[in-house]
Amino acid sequence: MSDRSRLRLIVLRVLVVSLLATLLGRLWYLQVLAGPQYARAASDNQVRDIIAAAPRGQIVDDAGRPWARNQTALVVSVDRVALTRQSDGGVAVLHRLARVLSVPYTDLHDRIQLCGPTAPKGCWNGSPYEPIPVTQLKNDLQSTRLALQILERKEDFPGISAELAAVRHYGTPMGALASQVLGNLAPITADELKKLPKSEQDARRRDLVGRQGLEQQYDRYLRGKAGVTQVAVDHLGAVTGTLSEAPPQPGDSLVTSLDARVQASLESSLAGAVHNARSLGVSQYGGPADFAAGVVMDAKTGHIVAMGSYPTYDPSLWDGGRIDTKAYDKLRHTPGNPLLDKAYASAYSPGSTFKLISTSGLLADGQATLGGTYDCTPSYSIGNSSFRNFEGEALGAISLHTTIVKSCDTVYYQLAYHDWIRDNNLVNAHKKPIEGVQHMARSYGLGVPSGVDLPNATVGHIADRRNQLLRWKQTKKDYCLGAKRRKPGDILKAYDQEYCTDGWRFNPGLQLIEDIGQGSVLVSPLQLAVAYSALANGGTVFEPRVGKAILSPAGKVIKRLKAPVRGHLPISQTDLDYIRNAMYQVPVTGTAATAFQGFPQGKVRVGGKTGSAELGLNRSYTSAWFASFAGLASDPTPRFVTVIMVDKGGVGGVVAAPAVRKVWDTVFGVEHAKAAYPAGKPPATLPHVGAGAAAAATPGSGSTAATPKVSGSPAALVDPTLPPALAVRFSGRQFWTGLL
Amino acid sequence: MTDWTSPRGSPYAARRRESLRERALDRESPLRRLDWILLLAVGMLCTMGALLVWGATKPHNVALGLDPNGDLKRDLLNIGIGVGLGGVAAIVDYRTIRAYTPVVYLASLVGLIAVLVHGVTVNGSHSWIKIGPGFEVQPSEFAKIALIVLAAMLLGERRDGAIAPDDRDVWMTLAASSVPILLILKQPDVGTVMVVAFVVFGVIALSGVSSKWIIGLLVVAAGVAVVIVHLHLLKDYQLKRFTAFTNPHADTQGSGYNTHQARIAIGSGGLFGKGLFHGTQTNGQFVPEQNTDFVFTVAGEELGLAGSGLLVVLVGVVLWRGLSIAARAEDAFGTLLSVGVVCWFGFQAFENIGMTVGIMPVTGLPLPFVSYGGSSIFASMLAVGLLQNVHMRSRT
Repeated sequence: MSDRSRLRLIVLRVLVVSLLATLLGRLWYLQVLAGPQYARAASDNQVRDIIAAAPRGQIVDDAGRPWARNQTALVVSVDRVALTRQSDGGVAVLHRLARVLSVPYTDLHDRIQLCGPTAPKGCWNGSPYEPIPVTQLKNDLQSTRLALQILERKEDFPGISAELAAVRHYGTPMGALASQVLGNLAPITADELKKLPKSEQDARRRDLVGRQGLEQQYDRYLRGKAGVTQVAVDHLGAVTGTLSEAPPQPGDSLVTSLDARVQASLESSLAGAVHNARSLGVSQYGGPADFAAGVVMDAKTGHIVAMGSYPTYDPSLWDGGRIDTKAYDKLRHTPGNPLLDKAYASAYSPGSTFKLISTSGLLADGQATLGGTYDCTPSYSIGNSSFRNFEGEALGAISLHTTIVKSCDTVYYQLAYHDWIRDNNLVNAHKKPIEGVQHMARSYGLGVPSGVDLPNATVGHIADRRNQLLRWKQTKKDYCLGAKRRKPGDILKAYDQEYCTDGWRFNPGLQLIEDIGQGSVLVSPLQLAVAYSALANGGTVFEPRVGKAILSPAGKVIKRLKAPVRGHLPISQTDLDYIRNAMYQVPVTGTAATAFQGFPQGKVRVGGKTGSAELGLNRSYTSAWFASFAGLASDPTPRFVTVIMVDKGGVGGVVAAPAVRKVWDTVFGVEHAKAAYPAGKPPATLPHVGAGAAAAATPGSGSTAATPKVSGSPAALVDPTLPPALAVRFSGRQFWTGLL
Repeated sequence: MTDWTSPRGSPYAARRRESLRERALDRESPLRRLDWILLLAVGMLCTMGALLVWGATKPHNVALGLDPNGDLKRDLLNIGIGVGLGGVAAIVDYRTIRAYTPVVYLASLVGLIAVLVHGVTVNGSHSWIKIGPGFEVQPSEFAKIALIVLAAMLLGERRDGAIAPDDRDVWMTLAASSVPILLILKQPDVGTVMVVAFVVFGVIALSGVSSKWIIGLLVVAAGVAVVIVHLHLLKDYQLKRFTAFTNPHADTQGSGYNTHQARIAIGSGGLFGKGLFHGTQTNGQFVPEQNTDFVFTVAGEELGLAGSGLLVVLVGVVLWRGLSIAARAEDAFGTLLSVGVVCWFGFQAFENIGMTVGIMPVTGLPLPFVSYGGSSIFASMLAVGLLQNVHMRSRT
């Protein structure tokens, strides 16, 4: 052998050794250094979580009538991964499915797009590896045939499955919608998921979360706990065994203090008031009536009996926890914004209904006395500003009682001006102003958070010197800009200019219109109901509650929800009685007398106060208010409070008061209606909430067919009313394996 | 050597004087002259291979309701046949084999042409000929041996006084090997082409030719690679699969799926593995071709670093012994024959294991002795037989 060959043989040996050393080094890295990471990857690879959504708890009224419950429905799902692996990306299969389901192809296509910056509406924000529910079928024979068609022609529908699931179903007991109070559900967002503890994220990926209303407020009780079954799978995703399983735990039920009968009456009264206002027109003390809102409250317990606003919508639009994009867009563009509950989520000037609060403040403050006489002039002037009496009626010297009954503005102007002068002197003397009316308003729960058990409730606004200054600091920039940029001659230019320089001043005019409930006094109908409840019940101010109790799926009481007492009115019982007595006069001889003509006051005593709050710069419209309390004549104190407001609806006594009368009729059944509360008070006991409303709420109850090998457990959701063939299909392992 | 000790000198007396056992243990006996370390290493590789094939196939066979040990049995049968073939290759004097080189070469060409005409396509390569039910032959495996023998013959026969082959010999070798290479490329089996090219290169380099040849061949190889990429001679998916290893995180669901799953399998094995039949990646069939090309992942997952490292070391022993045999061979033909076999095993093993651990591109090459597959085992065993052949007849 040549030396050259010998040398090259040595080179070859070195090469062999170094290559093998490379392999060993690489193995050391993979198996020892990165070993744990790959071990995790291997276990992720072969373990799949099957999430079984927990049936959501029911929401019922005070008699157990369900507003929201669960129904078993067939949900058709699309496995995105399986579709993308098809040669055409699943286009043919989706087209076929669209034909069978009679839905547009684009709908299906949009539904399975992953949410992102360019994603279409209705996109999927869950995991891309989970079947995406695209539509749900009704639980009837025709739908069952559809599902069978999809399941039995697996070769035509690869990646498509149909499963039974408990889906949210909204009802309308006694015709009551209560949509805005109920709220709705929507799929959990990626951000919300990120905020959850890591251990919960997987199980809740497909969760529907309460959005708005009671669904949001009581979500943690209602949602239950999803079941997670871990199965081992092979590379095709076929299940090879079950590793662990936790069955879904149904959510708790919520008993509300709402009463379907009263709610239905309130809703129809609101609609009626709006139509009435529109047909009357401005000339007849009506108006264009954009919307109406109302609250019925139990003054003794602080619970809400009915609440809502008009226009509203059918809550079943959200059946299944998902609203159709088109329907949602339509709702968003409906005039009057049905999605917003004006009863608690936004605030308006309450007009003269506020006068009782001002009266309380003036009395407590010593600015007015029960025995005094006051001059009801046609108008009242400070400097060169003139404030007119709304109805322009001059009654001469009258008592405080008559002032309330007849709602004389000018008396309040005088009292407010004196109040303002006193406070102004204090300010000038570098002392703290008393601001008795503002203080009293906050004691009544106005201008402060109501504490209601609903999300996004408004705080409202009560203007005083301090927040006038704060507001001016925050907003003056815009006004000053407006003053500069607006064209000369624009009325708003002068207004902007004035605010820009003097907006911080708490002018006497502000105090004047505040005392008659206008200008920057903003309250929600709910807040006003709380205030009137305090008037009615002798001074107790509640944090109102819609929820009455939380019941376990088995019907056991988990928690009673009592309305907490926020405080008591800082006013003497004598003053309170005086005001209440005056209010009893309003429907008899006062501003609501016409509306309550012929009402059997002997059986049910009704008191209240009308309000007509002027709107806009030129005061072209007024909002109609009537805030009222009532109770059986045998009761010493009135039990219920009803507040109804019709925005741009005209005059309170003409438009709002008749609507309230209808509600009272339903509550007590003294005129035409059947009494919702014949005893004059809401039921003290909780209704029985059985599992009957949703077979799916109790796992295992419906499993008639063979026990499934893979649990999770579809059989638990099998409805006994389904044709046996389908039930078997759903409980068989084949079905689940097809899904994965 | 005296007459009385030679069995040939007095056949009758020898038969009487020496028992079979004595003959086997005789200093001059071929058995005494076998390379036992090489044999042991090959034996262990085959045994581990059988175990791994068993591990890769048993759970799946059980799931399908087939004979759980079916693949194991076939593998053992292949090894048995391979041992027989290797024995024959060891016993016949390699110088006799050299005389028949042209026949072997032509036979391999016939096989490669036949596969193009009557072949069966497996995994995109048209590399198999079906001979009866359930039995397929891959002629390219045997072509490797034919080429080694041919190259060794052409480059090992020296003209008088020459210590190295001249340019004509090298040209002849290149010309002769280009025919089977082109035929294999036609299948197309890029992996085998690479092996064969490397083997031919190795034999030429070790034959003692001038360094100009080595540098020239390397430049040509690099040029060919550049041309292939730039002229898009490879299909897109081939190139993607080939380069997937350069970025381990690219497209783990598509072109990078195999290597990604293979790495998970090996990495998750840790130091001592999950135990035979207990690999989740293996049992779930996440790694494709796990009893053949990706058999190493079973070792990595179920036997851990201990098992997979042992495999690498055993391959190293085989290569080391092969090089020792080459160094001590009686003649240039024996040396080049051994070098050719070492280059073959070395390249193929490094490429095979390298692709499973993600440092080499993915090609369809079996791991010698370990992967399931009759042709591969037969050819490997024949090659080991040739090594033993050279060893037995080498200087001591």
